[in-house]
Amino acid sequence: MFEARGDQGSAGGAKGMQEAWYFCLRLLGGRYAFEAALVTEVVRLGPLTRLPAAPSFLPGVFTQRGEVLPVLDIGQLVGQGAIPIRPSTRVAIVHCGPWKVAVISDGVEGLVSLPRRSIEPPPAESTGMAEFLSGVGRDRHGTVAILDLPRLVETARARAVPAGSQGA
Amino acid sequence: MTTPPSELLMFQVGARLFASAVGDVIRIGNVRDVPAEELVEGTTLGQTFARERGIVVSDQRDGSEATLVVDQVLGIRQVTEGEIRPLPSFAAAVLQTGAVAGLVLLDEVPTLIVDLPTLIRERRAAAPTLQPS
Repeated sequence: MFEARGDQGSAGGAKGMQEAWYFCLRLLGGRYAFEAALVTEVVRLGPLTRLPAAPSFLPGVFTQRGEVLPVLDIGQLVGQGAIPIRPSTRVAIVHCGPWKVAVISDGVEGLVSLPRRSIEPPPAESTGMAEFLSGVGRDRHGTVAILDLPRLVETARARAVPAGSQGA
Repeated sequence: MTTPPSELLMFQVGARLFASAVGDVIRIGNVRDVPAEELVEGTTLGQTFARERGIVVSDQRDGSEATLVVDQVLGIRQVTEGEIRPLPSFAAAVLQTGAVAGLVLLDEVPTLIVDLPTLIRERRAAAPTLQPS
């Protein structure tokens, strides 16, 4: 568990204004962060129940304190292959608009503070993960790609064909 | 007041366990006793291994019967309303089937509750020449 501090942070004053807080995951060999306020908790991934006719980015559902949560595999969504699921795998439970999903990762770094002046526009590419980046920042551990997670989740939903809209 | 339990039929397709409302099922039979044109298999639940049992389902829309081929029928389980969960909204929005009616927590593990009439309708719609009604 952790305390989400949001974009404003709690440091206050000039230092708080100079830094932005994000939640950072290790994915696909890189460091990816998104708005910290979206994350409610980080938990170990329990036994996964696979769903029929699910898109590849939805490997299944699991229960967390009696609530059934869908698991989102960002690697599959961006066409870079499935993120391996191991006994130690942890997921970040996030709220993106109406959707609550568990984002699977290779590892969880947790909250990171990025100097606002270090954040640059994303690369011009529009394929793969680059399509969902809102910026690129740096901290003392290196480069952090900043994901527009709500847009990514909404794109996942839009790309899937809901059952009611199939021909038949 | 205690919530009255619901009855779910538990069955297996391949290595996976599923549940369905008992009310959707007319009877359980042996697939060898059923004409081939009434058998439904190769659904989104996955491939069968043994093809031992058939769950006979009635389609309320047209009164037709079909037999879903499964590997095992494990019996009926009583569950309380508290053990039933809806499909999460994100999953419901992206699944390409309407045959998941919800989930039941069995030892804290979610097990799919399958809407059998919808499953069979979808299978027939996907392969009308193989599965005539």
